Amino acid sequence: MREINNKMLQRLYWKRKEFMHAVKRFDRTQQFIVLFLTLLSVFMLLPIVYVFNHAFKPLHELFQFPPTFIVRNPTFQNFIELLSLTQSTFVPASRYMLNSIIVTFLATVGMVATGAICAYALSKHRFPGSKLIFGSIIASLLFAPETIAIPRYVVVQSLGIMNSYFGHVLPMIAMPVGVFLIKQFIDQVPNEMIEAAKMDGTTEFGIFMRIVTPMVMPAIATITILAFQNAWGNAETSTLFMQEDAMKTLPFYMSTLTSNLANSVARQGAAAAGALIMFLPSLIIFLLSQRKVISTMAHSGIK
Amino acid sequence: MAKILFNHVYKRYGKFKELAVNDFNLEVEDQEFLVFVGSSGCGKSTTLRMLAGLEDISEGEIYIGDTIVNDVPPKDRDISMVFQNYALYPNMTVFENIAFGLRLRKVPKHEIELSVKRAARVLEIENFLERKPRELSGGQRQRVALGRAIVRTPQAFLMDEPLSNLDAKLRVHMRTELINLHKKIGVTIVYVTHDQVEAMTMGSRIVVMEKGVIQQVDKPENVYNKPANLFVANFIGNPPMNFITGRLQERNGVLEFHTNRFALRIQEQHAYQLRNDHKLVDRTVIMGIRPEHISFEEIALQTCEHSVINGVLQINEFIGSDRYYHMDIGFPKMVVARAHPRYHFDEGARAAFALDMNKALFFHKDTEKLLTD
Repeated sequence: MREINNKMLQRLYWKRKEFMHAVKRFDRTQQFIVLFLTLLSVFMLLPIVYVFNHAFKPLHELFQFPPTFIVRNPTFQNFIELLSLTQSTFVPASRYMLNSIIVTFLATVGMVATGAICAYALSKHRFPGSKLIFGSIIASLLFAPETIAIPRYVVVQSLGIMNSYFGHVLPMIAMPVGVFLIKQFIDQVPNEMIEAAKMDGTTEFGIFMRIVTPMVMPAIATITILAFQNAWGNAETSTLFMQEDAMKTLPFYMSTLTSNLANSVARQGAAAAGALIMFLPSLIIFLLSQRKVISTMAHSGIK
Repeated sequence: MAKILFNHVYKRYGKFKELAVNDFNLEVEDQEFLVFVGSSGCGKSTTLRMLAGLEDISEGEIYIGDTIVNDVPPKDRDISMVFQNYALYPNMTVFENIAFGLRLRKVPKHEIELSVKRAARVLEIENFLERKPRELSGGQRQRVALGRAIVRTPQAFLMDEPLSNLDAKLRVHMRTELINLHKKIGVTIVYVTHDQVEAMTMGSRIVVMEKGVIQQVDKPENVYNKPANLFVANFIGNPPMNFITGRLQERNGVLEFHTNRFALRIQEQHAYQLRNDHKLVDRTVIMGIRPEHISFEEIALQTCEHSVINGVLQINEFIGSDRYYHMDIGFPKMVVARAHPRYHFDEGARAAFALDMNKALFFHKDTEKLLTD
C-alpha cells in the first residue's frame, strides 16, 4: 500500500514538475491565457458545485440571502421530502421513472443510429440533392424549438401517436447536431478503406457497422451523451403530446414539484434534491466517456 | 488465375462527359505482371478502378476469364486490390485485417488461420499478427495490405501505386519483394504507378498512358528503345531523351539531318526508311537521342566524324556513377549528355561530342509517331 502511495506521489510530483516546466516556457501572454482559462474553468464548475450543495441544504439555507454556495449544515431532509412526495402522488413516481428510462433509451438509440446512418450516407455517397439535404439539416439548427412546437404537434397528432412512447421518441429522433458532428468525422475516413472493404466482400451495412462506426467512435460517444441529455431532461414532449399522466416522464414530474403550487416557496427542498437526481446520470455518463468527447471537440472544431 | 480483357472501354466523367479513358483495348495475359504508367490524371487509376468494379464503365466491356464483369459487384469479381495508403482497418489487428475477407466468405475457422499464417510467412509478418496497424511501420503496413490481397488467392491482384508512400530505400526493397512474390505465387498482377523506374523494373509489359489513351504497350526494353511516339520517348527515361528539330536533306546520295547549326549523317538503314517508306526528304522531322548515346570519348569523336557537334557546357550534375552535362548547342532547349565521371569539364567550357547515329530515333513532326526502328 505504502509502495503504491509512494508511486502515486512520485507521479504527481513529476506531473507537477512537467506542468511548471511548461508554464515557465510560456511568454507573458500565454501565462495570462493559462491563468484566465483556469479561472474560467473554475467559474464553469460553479453550477455543478451549486447543484450538489443545494440538494443538501436545510430549508433556511435554501432561502438565505445572499445565497451561499457551500452548504453549512448538510442534511438529507430534501431527499426524504422528495421521497414522501413521490409516495403521495396519484401516478406513482416510479411510473415516471420507468417512462423516462424507456423514452431515454429509445430516443438515444434512435438519435445516434439515425444520425450516424444519415451522416454516413451524406459523407460517403454521392447522390443527387445530397448537398441540399445536408444544407437543410444545418439550416434546421437555426430554428428555435418554440417555433416548431405547433407544426410538431400537428405532425404527432396526425400520426396518431399521442400518448404513446412513439410520441416521445419520434420528435426527438432528428438530431442535426449529431448528423453534422458525425459527418465531420466520417469525412476523414479514407475512401480507400471503404473500397477495400467492398473488395473484401462487405455489404454496405457491414461497411457502416464494422469499418466506419468503430473509426468514428469518439463522435458517436459524444452524440450519445448529447442525445442522452436531450432525452433525459426533456419535459416538452410530456407537456405537448401526453395528456395521460401515466405516459409523462420524470422531468415533467420534477417541474410540477414547484410550478403547480400557489407560491414558489414550498417544496423547494424537494426540487433541489430532484435537480441533483436528474443531473447525476448525465454527469456519470459524461465522466465515463470524457476522453472521447474531448477528442471529438478538438477534432471537429466546434464548441 | 485468368486473362483480363478490355474491349473498347470508355469512361466519361462529370457534367460535360469528359473522357477520362478513351477506347481502351488491352489483353492481360495469365500470370502477367502488367504495369500502367503515366503522368497523374492520365486515366491509369480510373482504368484499374473500373477493373476492380469501383467505377462504372461508361462504354465497352471488361472480361475477367470468360465472363463480362461490367455489372458484377467488386466482391464477386474474385480480384483483390492494394491501395496507395494501404487502407488497413485501424480497429482490427493485423490478423483480423488479413482474415476479414475470408471471414466474410464464411471460410471455416481453421482454414482461415492456416491461410493467414501462410500469407504472413510469405510476407514475413508472422511476428506482428496481434498488433494494430498503427503500431507498424510503413513497410510493415504495406506487407499487411499485400497479405490481405494474397490470402484470398484471387484471379488477379490490382495495385494502385502501392509503394509511393514509402521512403526511397524501402521502395527499392519492396520492389524486389513484389517481383519475388509474383514469381512465387504466379498470379496476374495489374500495377499502376507514375514512377517509370518501378514500371521498367517490375513489369513484364508496360502500358504507357496519356490523356486516357494507350500510347504504347510493350516490354520495358522495347518501350525504352523503340518508343512509339514522342510522348513515350519523352516520358520514359531519366534524364529524358533529347529532341532536336531539323530537316532531312539528300547530299551526294547521303541523307543528312540538317539544322541551321550543323548537319548529321543519317545511318543507312534509317535513311532508307525515311527516304523510301515515309518519303520525308526535304521535310522537317524530330530527332531523338538518349543522353547515354552522346559521347565525349576520343574514339567516338574519331569514328563518328559525321555526327560530331560542339556545345557550351552549362550545367554539370554529378550523381556518383555518372555525370550529366547540360549543353547549349544554340537551341532553346539544352542537350543532356551522360558521361563517365572521369570527363570533367568546367561549366562554361566548349566541348565536342559525338552522337551515336545508330541509336538516334526519328519522329514525324505532325503525327509525332516513330518513323524508324
